[in-house]
Amino acid sequence: MIKKIKSSLSEKILFIFLISLAVFTFGSFYLIKNKCLFVKELDLEKLKISDPKNLAIMDVECGKVAIELYPQVSPKSVERFKYFVDSGLYNNSAFYRVIENTLVQAGDLEFGYHYNINYFKIGSGKSKLGKLKSELSNDYEFKAGTVAMARGEFDTEDSEFFIILKDIPLYQGEYTPIGKVVFGLDALKKIKIGNKTDYVLRPDYIKEFQLLEN
Amino acid sequence: MKYIISIILIFNISVVNANEIFNLLKIPNLEIYNINTSNGLKYLYAENNFKIGLKKNISCDRLKKNELEKKYPIIEKNLNKYEADFLVKNNLKFIILCENLSVSSINTGGVPNILKRSLILDINFNLEHFERMIHHEFFHMIQAKHKRMFDEALWSKFNRTSFKYAECSTCSDRTDLSLYKNTDGFLTEYSKSIPSEDMAEIFSFLMINKELVEKKIENDLILKNKVNYLEKNLKLIDDNFVF
Repeated sequence: MIKKIKSSLSEKILFIFLISLAVFTFGSFYLIKNKCLFVKELDLEKLKISDPKNLAIMDVECGKVAIELYPQVSPKSVERFKYFVDSGLYNNSAFYRVIENTLVQAGDLEFGYHYNINYFKIGSGKSKLGKLKSELSNDYEFKAGTVAMARGEFDTEDSEFFIILKDIPLYQGEYTPIGKVVFGLDALKKIKIGNKTDYVLRPDYIKEFQLLEN
Repeated sequence: MKYIISIILIFNISVVNANEIFNLLKIPNLEIYNINTSNGLKYLYAENNFKIGLKKNISCDRLKKNELEKKYPIIEKNLNKYEADFLVKNNLKFIILCENLSVSSINTGGVPNILKRSLILDINFNLEHFERMIHHEFFHMIQAKHKRMFDEALWSKFNRTSFKYAECSTCSDRTDLSLYKNTDGFLTEYSKSIPSEDMAEIFSFLMINKELVEKKIENDLILKNKVNYLEKNLKLIDDNFVF
């Protein structure tokens, strides 16, 4: 005859504790692994669109980002940017410079593509369109979400661009602003970072970049 | 193969403390001190030591905050003598403050860079000459931006024919920054090192104490010609410029 052994109160508490711990561990693991968990999805109907020809939608790992372009601020740069977006040249381009909660940079069309990334040369690539003159504005404030052309020296802008994730007043009058993120800043904040290096090793990429209306 | 490439890359990654300032100036470990100034200058300071340059030959140490608070008003007072337009014309926008600045292990008061529009200043530079050093270093930017206006061969002709400058500023023992009693064409011993240092010395004295230089040139024709040359060309850069 098998005797039924009743568990004591302390054993019951220990059992509940172990179950809770397991749930917490698996839950945390899922939350940590799924970095896109709390990122909101883009709803174009809710977005106030003043000029669909100057709205670009960028698809990144954690969702879609809507960028309003400002041809009135920097006509030449926006024209070129729209050309690269429209022709699909930014698709699969790496976010190779990412500073946590500060900025993300992409758009190297020579050494920054997913299928042939070159870590030794990334950031130095050129498009075939040549350099652009900087279109600086001393009045344009670099608030979080500002999209601007990246450059080495002045008047060397080409295809690379960056988006700032916080206000950076130091950049005012330094870089050519081309637009602003009107939705999706939280998706950009989830892009893989590389604070301590010149570039991000095995970076995130732009999945797709297109104009809402061309 | 992928793993081998990854391992090679990991060892080749140069470690930087990247922030928005590094992205702009390529100098790590800087923080903003004051960017809302009347003439548009942006003051930054070293929060930690940094080494820059292709061979990392320019190095500077982090600042002690109390030292910075003591020296900043002096620096700002001196740089406020320049109008925003004049600074723009001479590519100066960022003032980087740090301690123990050196280039190739030789201590220096300032390192100007017209491409980055920055001037690194050692706030612990010899106190006696500190204010003058600020203007001296800025002059190197003015000259670098307007090389043809401050022609060194032409400048050398102001001196007596028997006089020869050294080959370079650091390969000479003419280093004393004290004002000569009897000038004879040069305000300091350091003026005798190379033409650009001579120009920078005169410029800095004019910025600090114009009356004193005017007194000196009453009996020194060589110095008078040099001062006139500087004044004439600075006016060509900016008609509103005054010492």
